[in-house]
Amino acid sequence: MKAGKRLAPFALGLVAMAHAAAAQDLNILTWEGYAPETITRPFAEASGCNITASYVGSNDDFAAKLAAGGGVYDIITPSSDTVPLLSQAGFVDPIDPAAVENYAGIYPEFSQSPALNLDGITWAVPLIWGSVSLIYRPDMVPGTPDSIAVLFDPAYAGKISMWDDKSAIYWAARYLGYENIFDLTDEQLEAVKAKLIEQKPLVRKYWASAGELTELMANQEVYVSNAWTGLTFKEVNGLNKGFTVAEFNPKEKSEGWMDSMMLVKGTPNQECAMKFISYMQSAEGQCALAASTGYFPVNPGAVAACMDEATKKERQVGNIDFVKSLVMWQQPARLDKYIEVWNAVKAAP
Amino acid sequence: MRGKSVLARRSALPVLGLFALPVGWAFLLLIVPYGIMVAISFWTRQFPLFVPDFQFGNYLQLFSDPQYYTVILRTAKIAALVTLAATCLGYPLAYYLVFVIKTERLRALLYMLVIVPLWVSYLLRTYTWKTILGTDGALNSALKWLGVIDQPISLFLYNQWSMVITLTYIFIPFVVMPVFAALENIPRNLIEASEDLGVRPFGTFLRVILPLSAGGVISGATVTFCLAFGDFVAPVLVGGPDGTMVANLLQSQFGAALNWPLGSALATVVLLIVMALLWLSARLDRAGRVALG
Repeated sequence: MKAGKRLAPFALGLVAMAHAAAAQDLNILTWEGYAPETITRPFAEASGCNITASYVGSNDDFAAKLAAGGGVYDIITPSSDTVPLLSQAGFVDPIDPAAVENYAGIYPEFSQSPALNLDGITWAVPLIWGSVSLIYRPDMVPGTPDSIAVLFDPAYAGKISMWDDKSAIYWAARYLGYENIFDLTDEQLEAVKAKLIEQKPLVRKYWASAGELTELMANQEVYVSNAWTGLTFKEVNGLNKGFTVAEFNPKEKSEGWMDSMMLVKGTPNQECAMKFISYMQSAEGQCALAASTGYFPVNPGAVAACMDEATKKERQVGNIDFVKSLVMWQQPARLDKYIEVWNAVKAAP
Repeated sequence: MRGKSVLARRSALPVLGLFALPVGWAFLLLIVPYGIMVAISFWTRQFPLFVPDFQFGNYLQLFSDPQYYTVILRTAKIAALVTLAATCLGYPLAYYLVFVIKTERLRALLYMLVIVPLWVSYLLRTYTWKTILGTDGALNSALKWLGVIDQPISLFLYNQWSMVITLTYIFIPFVVMPVFAALENIPRNLIEASEDLGVRPFGTFLRVILPLSAGGVISGATVTFCLAFGDFVAPVLVGGPDGTMVANLLQSQFGAALNWPLGSALATVVLLIVMALLWLSARLDRAGRVALG
């Protein structure tokens, strides 16, 4: 009893916390720009669920954060190349597509893709998609570049950047003419590694986040890089620095990615989580996210009314053929080996 | 003897109560985690995660794959350069504060100015160096304005030098503080005696002041080296493609690679390096200690 008395204030505090949690919280681990007020506020009004967003810098962060004890998050939004790993590691619960409103409106190429549906079970619901192309300074790069070669050109020594990610392997592999970029042999990986190490003296900085690339471009640190199509372009040109940047799809192809929503295993906020997944397939959700990021909606039906014709064209709405012009990300067959190679490149002198 | 033991017995409980919290804290949050870390370093990576095991493969990998020892050696080199630079700049600064500044108030003010950056976020201070050293940064702008250069110099940022410059700036207070304390504690009559005996000022410095402040230098240098050795922010913010340090490697093993066993092995090696250094520093300190009295 004595102990009970002493613990009373503490217990009261716990009750207060539990009550706050009952006021419907939803914790999302996602990318910067994916939880703007244009989404969180109307969603809270419609559902009574308050979104708290945390951010990742790369797809590798999702599994790392969940492995370190993931009780904090309810929804994660990895790219489709990371979706299989998360279900294989047992960090997520399956999703019932029938419980997702507007699910049928999603491009079937995305919603039915093997990466999202393992053994007939749906693990992820598409959210948004886009491409990774090349960005450059037309005033500094003469002519019209048409190849990944620009990232390896000594003429731009010290003015080249690349995303600090295993995807650097995909770019170097395409430049070397390999087709099986997600399943390279040991010899091919050695060649890719050598090419990337050869490129290092030309690289000013590997960028870690979209914000960092914008800064590198805006401060004239670099002239060429790979970049999230639309995003860096829009941000750098929006700064009116007295120069502009342009984007292009190299003849070796640009990359395509698609982010999906996954349900963290055993989340206590499943109701809010499912409401959120449905909300993001609505006109409000898809259009707000597309507007805030500059990326492409996955649900063409949903955006029919909330996007003007020019934006629809720019965001490839209904143009699924565009996907076929891209190399869509897949989980590498030997993920460990790829990460080891990329780490070896970065460790090299 | 008997009375003493009674006293000891009587005070055992309160003493235990007094120290239970700090000792329990140290045990639970320091010793137990180290044990877990060492244990995991013998586990095996098994895609997509890892499984308990007892094998030395992780350590073997660390010493056979050049990517790991290259980075450890690079980290040691950068930490050594930072320690050297911070000591060479911090010692004269502390000396100036203690022996040259005559008024107590001015000394306290200047000392505060050296220490006060520690109140500002470490991240912010590192980030600031980017705006100083960058292509469009303050340094290049100033040099251009002065007419020294007409094209911005890119060598200032995104390489190992910019990391050394940034870390030196950040860790100088950690040298100044112990050296300042050591210099202040030197009895002034020793210096006067040396001067009275006709030893020139530089001789007095070499034979009296420097030996008596060696302890401050050793502790400042040790702290600086250890902090620089474990830094992971400078490589990310101001380092270039060749700037990966051991803490970044650790981050990658616990993050992207999801290989906690290898990461734990690496962390254990880093821990041993730091412990060896602390041991060496303690020995140096003891050996160099001058008996006063």
